[in-house]
Amino acid sequence: MAQNLLKIENVKKAYKKYNLFGKEISRFSALNGLNLSVEKGQIYGFLGPNGAGKTTTIKCIIGILEADSGKITIDGQNIKGNSLYFKNKIGFLPEQVGLYGRLTAKESLQFYGGFYNLSENEIEKRGKSLLAKLGLEKDSNRKVAEYSLGMKKRLALCIALLNNPEILILDEPTSGLDPRGVKALRIVLKELNKQGLTIILSSHVLTEVQEICTHVGIINRGKLIREESIHGIRREIEKKSIKLLLKVKNFSDELAKALSKDNKIKNIQQNNNGKHDVLLLELKEENIPWVTDFLVAKGIQIFSIEPQKNSLEDIFLKETGGE
Amino acid sequence: MVVKEDYVLKSRDKWNKNKSWQPLIISIALILCLAIVHKAYWIGTTETNPNEIWENKQLTKNGNNWTISFDEDVGDSITFKGVLRTAPKFEVFRNDTFVPGKFSEGEGLVYSEDLYGKTILNVSGMRILVNDDLSKTFFVSEIITIKATLVTNISTFENNGEIITLEREGWVAETKDIELSSSKDNYFFATELLLLSVGLYFSLKQIKGLREQANLVWHLAKFELQKGIKSPRMIVLGVIFTLFIIGMGWLLGDLQNGDPESAFFVQNANGALQQLCFFVFFVVSLAAIGVSVDSFHKERQANTLNILLAKPINRETIVIGKAVGLSLVVGIPALVAQILGLIFMINAGDTPSLSGLIAFIVCGQIMIFTLVCFQLCFAISARSGTDVVMYGLGMWLLFAVVWNLLIYAISFALGIDVTAEDFENDPQFQSIASHMGMLNPGYVYQFAVGLLTHRTLAIDLEGIPGWLILLALVLWPITCLRIATKLFKREIKG
Repeated sequence: MAQNLLKIENVKKAYKKYNLFGKEISRFSALNGLNLSVEKGQIYGFLGPNGAGKTTTIKCIIGILEADSGKITIDGQNIKGNSLYFKNKIGFLPEQVGLYGRLTAKESLQFYGGFYNLSENEIEKRGKSLLAKLGLEKDSNRKVAEYSLGMKKRLALCIALLNNPEILILDEPTSGLDPRGVKALRIVLKELNKQGLTIILSSHVLTEVQEICTHVGIINRGKLIREESIHGIRREIEKKSIKLLLKVKNFSDELAKALSKDNKIKNIQQNNNGKHDVLLLELKEENIPWVTDFLVAKGIQIFSIEPQKNSLEDIFLKETGGE
Repeated sequence: MVVKEDYVLKSRDKWNKNKSWQPLIISIALILCLAIVHKAYWIGTTETNPNEIWENKQLTKNGNNWTISFDEDVGDSITFKGVLRTAPKFEVFRNDTFVPGKFSEGEGLVYSEDLYGKTILNVSGMRILVNDDLSKTFFVSEIITIKATLVTNISTFENNGEIITLEREGWVAETKDIELSSSKDNYFFATELLLLSVGLYFSLKQIKGLREQANLVWHLAKFELQKGIKSPRMIVLGVIFTLFIIGMGWLLGDLQNGDPESAFFVQNANGALQQLCFFVFFVVSLAAIGVSVDSFHKERQANTLNILLAKPINRETIVIGKAVGLSLVVGIPALVAQILGLIFMINAGDTPSLSGLIAFIVCGQIMIFTLVCFQLCFAISARSGTDVVMYGLGMWLLFAVVWNLLIYAISFALGIDVTAEDFENDPQFQSIASHMGMLNPGYVYQFAVGLLTHRTLAIDLEGIPGWLILLALVLWPITCLRIATKLFKREIKG
């Protein structure tokens, strides 16, 4: 049985505003009894629309914020009252990477490494290997202010990994990165995971989550509404009907009725782009040959067929009530 | 009853929560008990209100026979405890300071040649004649105990052409009967200090990972120092305030040689040192605003704080580390400026006492730490950089510029005529001013340096005892730091 590394149980967190006399004047509930568990070795994708509570959850895990109620445990131990101990086990990459521009990469590593029980030599040795791994070795003596956003993110990742953490938490790690940067980061994360690192990442980029995560948790209005392995989600996607986009000529309403007759087509949307009739059919994958044969038999010219598979996005939108 | 039980439960809960601070709390409670014993000791062994006895004397004018009498019997000896309100060096009878044969109602005696070389002390308003020249033995504001005996004598003097016979009772003492109260106070103070040290030691010992957190404070402080000391803002401010302090030091030195009648005359080097304290405070408080703007607020904007908060470091440690670092950013150039200012002042005037010089430097650094912590409170709680600067400047204006106006306003509200000539010498006004001074870190700095220019801590500066000044000097930075850490820690609650 896989071991629960991180467990969040019924965590509630509200942001409060107080007046000058300390009386609460407003309150916004960010987490409303969140439950979540991450097992050792997972890459856990944390999904949710804006304001769902992803960043608040991350801040509660790393001790920037304190949960109002509920329990967060790492390796079965409550982090409350022991946050310094657990901070040694966590690496964190925030969404907005804020580094001191006047320092070089090496100096940054020395500064942040100074917060761990590491000697200067150890920091230098580890820092050097991390910089090499993330392709920053050549720029290690340049001031961070001269770095591109991608380089800053990579340096921040080096900083997050400096203490050899058990859990790496990344808040929107690819935001602001170019496609090459995204790909490079994906490779690094997969490699780190192979070496045994548990990764939790929050992201808006669903394809990225689908690509690298082993498990997905969808959060909305401060509650977990779905938690599933990526294989489970794939199976669900495959079970579901797919959409087929066809560009044809001389399509008529009679033909649409005939297509729907045997319930092989669930839904037909039809419009004309001036050149072709554009059909969007919702059907099971096994019925595709029947559709094409039917149309050819009726003398319809088919100019293109484009299958549109369901994706994590559809599940995400369905679960979060989006369109 | 329920409210009482609830209160007891809450107190017990709070007590149990602060386990590591329990030894310190116990030691402070013991210190308070000892302070009560200390007070009781003086009340029990001395007359602590000499002025009351002096005010109760009776001057009876019966034709040409006048009498001055006290409630006490002639021959009674009483040990008084009080403050030397005037400098003994100005109270020694010399042949050029009085006219023999003249009656002084204030001093309750007739001037005669046999008073030459004797000193009439003003002990908290009570006049006591000492059969010796005390000009170099005791000094103004010192708290003393004096065993005086009520004696009687008869003298004559001329009043409006008539010869008046005065049968007076008066208090006299010998030099050996006078002692600084610190000869006893020091035992109490030392015991209190020992208790505090023991309590603090055991409390700190109970804090988990204190050594590690102390190392982190230094790690962060070094980082802030390296960042801040090289910043263009600090270089410009450093040059300006160094030149200002040098200039004021030279001026205060030169004014010691000026015309004693001039409004700007500075009486002695110790007085000049106290005034230089104000000018140091005036400029370093501005520098404290300058350095603290960049701390929490800017770090939040630049998102550097989130990475820092994810590291194994307490929020308190972050505040203390930044406070120490930023204090060094202001403190190191200030130290250079202080030393240069002193050199110029001493070159142009006299040399202040060594303890005063050390206090000027050390208390100056404590004051800088206080101001930085004070500004950090704004930097932590303000919503924008402009707010940090505006709040900071507001407090600077209050403490360094308009404080005297505030004193005048409060004195006026309390019924003192602030339009009267020489109202600043009114003891009630001076008492208000000095008590209010405890609420201003700049004045606390001046008072502390003033106190430490004396040879003893048993000093009363216009109604403020020496121990209270030292307590204020310690409480100011601790309170500001505590508020700053509390404000920063509150953020964890969201």
